Amino acid sequence: MQKVKQSLSHAGPMTEVEAKDLLRRVGFNVVETRLARSSKEAAAMGRELGFPVALKVVSLQVVHKSNVGGVRLNLAGAHETAQAYEEILAAVKARLPEAEVQGMAVQRMAPPGVEVVMGGFRDASFGPVLMFGLGGLWVEVLQDVAFRLVPLEARDARDMVREIRGYPLLEGYRGQPGVDIPFMEEMILLLSRFMEDNPEVREVDLNPVIAYPEQALVVDARVVMR
Amino acid sequence: MQRVGHRLERVFNPRTVAVIGSKAANNHMWLRNVLTFQGKVYSVQIDEGESPGIAALGVENYSSLLDIPGPVDYVIVAVPRAVTPKVVKDCIAKGVGGVTLFTSGFAETGTEEGMRLQEEVRQLAQEWGLNLIGPNCMGIFNPSIGLRHNQEQYCGPGGCVGFISQSGTHAAFFSLMGARHGVKVSKSVSYGNAVVLDSPDYVEYLAQDEETRIIAMYIEGAKEGRRLFECLKAVTPRKPVVIWKGGQTEAGARAAASHTASLAQPYRLWQAMVRQAGAIPVESLEETIDVVRALLYIKHGTGRRVGLMAHTGGPSVVITDDFARADLEVPALTQESYDKLASFFNVIGGSYRNPLDMGSTLGMDANLDGLLRVLGQLLDIMGEDANVDVVTMELAVPFMARRWQREPETMARILDTMAYYRDRSPKPFMAVVRPLHMEEMAQQAEAGLVEREIAVFPSFQRAAVALRKMVDYYSFHRQD
Repeated sequence: MQKVKQSLSHAGPMTEVEAKDLLRRVGFNVVETRLARSSKEAAAMGRELGFPVALKVVSLQVVHKSNVGGVRLNLAGAHETAQAYEEILAAVKARLPEAEVQGMAVQRMAPPGVEVVMGGFRDASFGPVLMFGLGGLWVEVLQDVAFRLVPLEARDARDMVREIRGYPLLEGYRGQPGVDIPFMEEMILLLSRFMEDNPEVREVDLNPVIAYPEQALVVDARVVMR
Repeated sequence: MQRVGHRLERVFNPRTVAVIGSKAANNHMWLRNVLTFQGKVYSVQIDEGESPGIAALGVENYSSLLDIPGPVDYVIVAVPRAVTPKVVKDCIAKGVGGVTLFTSGFAETGTEEGMRLQEEVRQLAQEWGLNLIGPNCMGIFNPSIGLRHNQEQYCGPGGCVGFISQSGTHAAFFSLMGARHGVKVSKSVSYGNAVVLDSPDYVEYLAQDEETRIIAMYIEGAKEGRRLFECLKAVTPRKPVVIWKGGQTEAGARAAASHTASLAQPYRLWQAMVRQAGAIPVESLEETIDVVRALLYIKHGTGRRVGLMAHTGGPSVVITDDFARADLEVPALTQESYDKLASFFNVIGGSYRNPLDMGSTLGMDANLDGLLRVLGQLLDIMGEDANVDVVTMELAVPFMARRWQREPETMARILDTMAYYRDRSPKPFMAVVRPLHMEEMAQQAEAGLVEREIAVFPSFQRAAVALRKMVDYYSFHRQD
C-alpha cells in the first residue's frame, strides 16, 4: 500500500478533496470529487461530472460543513451550481469570517442506497481500532456500531458487519435488495491495512459510505494526520 | 531475566516463603494464611514486641530478609507503605523468586506520596527484574502446596482453573464459592495495582501451566491493552479464557481508579477486544463460575438446539423464553420422538412438545423403580432426537421432597440415573435445580450432582446464558 507520508506532510486534518484523493489512491471506491475555485469552475465541473451534483465548502477551519451552510445537494444544472457556489461562500463568510475558503468540492450526487460509516482511530491502550456501523440516525442516536482492533482478519470483518443490530437492513428487508456485504468486508480489511501501514494517520472517517447491491461508494471522508 | 520455564514458575511454586511485617494487631493474618504451606515459612519482623506471637505460631523470625539462610522463593510484604522501597531493595539483594506487596496506599489513593512511592517501587523492581505482584493485593493461592491468601481456602488437590484477579476479595470468593460448585483452582493470583507484573504476564504463565486447563479473570484495567489482546488471542484457541471486567460504567470506572488505580478504558472497546480475542465475556462472579462449570462439565459442542425437560406447564413456558432470549433454539422434536412419547406420555396435565412437562408422567408418588424407568425412557428419547443438540433437565425439588423424606435413597438413585444417561448420550447434558423455598434440600441435590460431575445451575436463565457462552466459544474456535 502506498504510504500517506509521501502525499502529505502537515499535521492535522486534510481537506475533503485531499482525503478522498488519498483514499482513492490506496484502493477505496471513492466518488470523484474536484476542487472548484470559482462559481464558473464549479458549473463547468458539474457539466463534466454530470448533474445533479453536490457542493461542499473546502476550508480547514470549517469542521461541521452543514452547520455553517456549507453544503448544497442535488444541484440540477450549471446555473444553479454557480449560484449555490456564491451562496455557500456568503453563508460561510457570514458565520465564520476568519475561515480561509479554498473553494468548493464538486461531486456527482450518489444514487440512493444504504448509508454506512467506517472509521479508524488510535486508542491510548489498545492502539489502532476500526469502527463500523449504519449511517445517519443509527450511528448518531442508537450508536449501533461495532469495533475491532487492527489488524483485522477476514473473520473479524465478517463478525463486525453481523454484530450491528441494523444488520438485517444490509441483508435486505421487505423486498428491498440487500447490499454487497462481501464488498464492505473487503473495504473494512482495506481500512485496517491503511491504519496499520500509516502510523501517522491519527483518524480516518468514511462517512457516509453508500452501499449498493453491487459495491459501495465513499461519499465523504475525513483524514486527520498526527 | 531468568527463563527456566516461565519467569513466574518459581514464585507460583515456591519452596520457601517469607512473611515480612506479620503482627498481632491483625492476629498474624499473613502467617496464619501460610501455616498450611508445605515448604518452609519464615518471618521477618524487626519489632521485638511481635516475636512471642510469631514464635507461638512455630515460625522462625529474622530481623532482616537477608539474614534468612538459603534462598527465599516467595515473599509476602505487609509493612507500612513508607518502608516498602527498603523491603523491595532487600528482596532484590536476596534474589527472591517474587514478592507480593499486600501493602496499600499507593497510586490508588490519588495522593502525591502514594504515587511517588509506587513509582519508586516500580523503578526498582523493573530495573532489577524483580517479579513484583501488586501492590495493594493478596498475591498467590496454590492449593496443592498449601499456599493461601485466605484462611478459609482449601488445601490439597486443586482443580484445573487458573484465576487472575485484580481484587483479593474476588480471588478469595472465586475459590471458596467455586469449590462448592465443583470449580477448583489450580493457581490463582490477586495482583492489585499491577505496577510491574500485569494481567498479560499472568495469562502467559497460566497458559503454559500444565495444571491449568481454563483461565478466568477479574480485571479492572490493563496498562497495555494491546499486549493483553495479543496474549489472549494466542491463548484462547488452546485454553478458554473467561473475562469479567469491573468498571464498565463511568461510575464503576471511577471506583476502579480508587481501588486499583486502573485507568478508564472505553467499555465498548473492551467488549470488542474480548470478542475478537476469542475469550468469553461474563458480568459477575456467579456468571464466571457458571461459565466455568459449563466448560468443565458439559460435553463440548457447538449445537444451539436445546431439548428441555421440566415438570409442569408454567415453568415450561418461561424456560423456553429463557433459552430463546439467550439466542438458543427450542425446536420441535422429531416425529419419531413424538410417536415414542405418545405410547406412554400422560398428556393429561402434561405436554410432550419441547419442553416436556414430565411431572405427571413420572408419577412422583408412584414406585421408585417405575419412576426411574420412565425418566430413563424420556432421557433416551431426548438424547436420540435428531433435532436436539443439548439436553437440559430440571430436577424440581418440591415435587420430589415428600418422597425424598419418605425414602432417602430416592435422591441418590435419581442422580445416578441422570449420570447414567449423561454418560450414555454423546450430547451435552445439564441440570437445573432451583432452590425455591427448599434451599437446603436443593443444596443437597446440587452437591450430589456436583459429585457426579453433572453441570447444574440454580435457574434456567443462568443455565441458558452459561450454555450459550460455552457454545459461542467452541463455535468461534471451530476449525472449518
